[in-house]
Amino acid sequence: MGTGTVAIVDYGLGNLRSVAGAVKRAGFALRITCRTEELEKADKLILPGVGAFGDGMKNLRERGLVETLTELVIRRKKPILGICLGCQLLARESEEFGRHAGLGWLAGAVVRLRPADPALRVPHVGWDDLVQKRESILFRGIAPDALFYYVHSYYVQPDDPSLVYGECDYGMKFPAVLQRDNIYATQFHPEKSQRQGLDLLKNFLDNA
Amino acid sequence: MLRKRLVTVLTFNDGVLFRTKEFQPDYRYTLNFVDAWAVDEIVVLDVTRPGTGDRENFYGVVELFSERCFVPLSAGGGVRNIEDFRRLLNLGADKVVINTAALERPEFISEAAALYGAQCVVVSMDAKKKERGDYEVYSHFGARPTGQSPAGWAKRAEELGAGEIFVTAIDRDGSLEGYDNELNRLVSEAVKIPVLVCGGAGNWQHFVDGFVQGKAAAVCTACIYHFTDTSIRSAKKYLATAGIPVRTA
Repeated sequence: MGTGTVAIVDYGLGNLRSVAGAVKRAGFALRITCRTEELEKADKLILPGVGAFGDGMKNLRERGLVETLTELVIRRKKPILGICLGCQLLARESEEFGRHAGLGWLAGAVVRLRPADPALRVPHVGWDDLVQKRESILFRGIAPDALFYYVHSYYVQPDDPSLVYGECDYGMKFPAVLQRDNIYATQFHPEKSQRQGLDLLKNFLDNA
Repeated sequence: MLRKRLVTVLTFNDGVLFRTKEFQPDYRYTLNFVDAWAVDEIVVLDVTRPGTGDRENFYGVVELFSERCFVPLSAGGGVRNIEDFRRLLNLGADKVVINTAALERPEFISEAAALYGAQCVVVSMDAKKKERGDYEVYSHFGARPTGQSPAGWAKRAEELGAGEIFVTAIDRDGSLEGYDNELNRLVSEAVKIPVLVCGGAGNWQHFVDGFVQGKAAAVCTACIYHFTDTSIRSAKKYLATAGIPVRTA
């Protein structure tokens, strides 16, 4: 068993079961929760999510999670991994279905994928590359040609390019892994990316 | 570069894995569950005919797969309404496959897409070539002609918010004779969303043909002899040699 407990933030969106299955497989005890006490007790947080940005923020607000998570992540520096929509929610704002404010922990905006080649379909769905741009604890033991599963129409464009640790090219380059201090985010789904995904998730749980 | 997908389709009758031939049960093969690292995606379909068997058994299967398989999981078969749709997502499916209910009430596609996002709505269609050479979509497990053309229905489904189209050639089901790529191409060229093709794959070259001639984003196989990790790996190797970009993990 890994040491420490993991809280998977439950805000009513996304496939919590498969994230939970992957954390379990990595050998960590976990809680799926939106309760402050349980989030406080956890050593690591995971913000999963599938769906629309506006709904995601609305759900976080309704559950009082914006304040709780900001306290834990920004002030107490608890490590967090945002996945897919959970990655996008960390940004300042999104242009998906109108303008929405995000958590604002990563300076940047969520914008739509606009591949130059019209033959490339959006959403970007399937197995694609992760080009490792900077050294990260997430990438330990991950082969440079490992593939990950993506399903999204938007991505985070940070103001500061040094936040980009991994990149994918879908008719245009976009950030696949972002990182700042104790905040980690992947646009792809590690919990749906077979062995490589489980390894990357375990890296976060072991080393963050 | 986005890789082409090789998808394993598993059909379940009353919670038991089984194989079909021309949409009829073929019980020669039973449970042969492999933890295959090379598979790109799994589709589980409940083909229990209404009134026979207990649907709870299928829900148990979806739960089992979602906890143990770390690849995208689609589930469907007999999904009638938003409640059925939600239940499958809550059990851990990433996408839900809808067929007859969407034909009967096309707004179902929009409702599901608005609630859960287009990426999790897979519209499946079963089609057959008619005597005069054109194709028709069938509903109710391939039993009832609908009067709709596959390309027309695919286009409509896309407009209503479908994220992917899953097309099956009824006459090729279990035949091992290869995909109906005339049908596949008609559908693929009608829409911009990814098209998954199913029905008839019997050898690795059929997968290549599905991508090249059928213009598929993903080729599916429901044939039990493809289910081992080694055979998926060797299929991927064959595809890569043929110049198809695939994930060869």
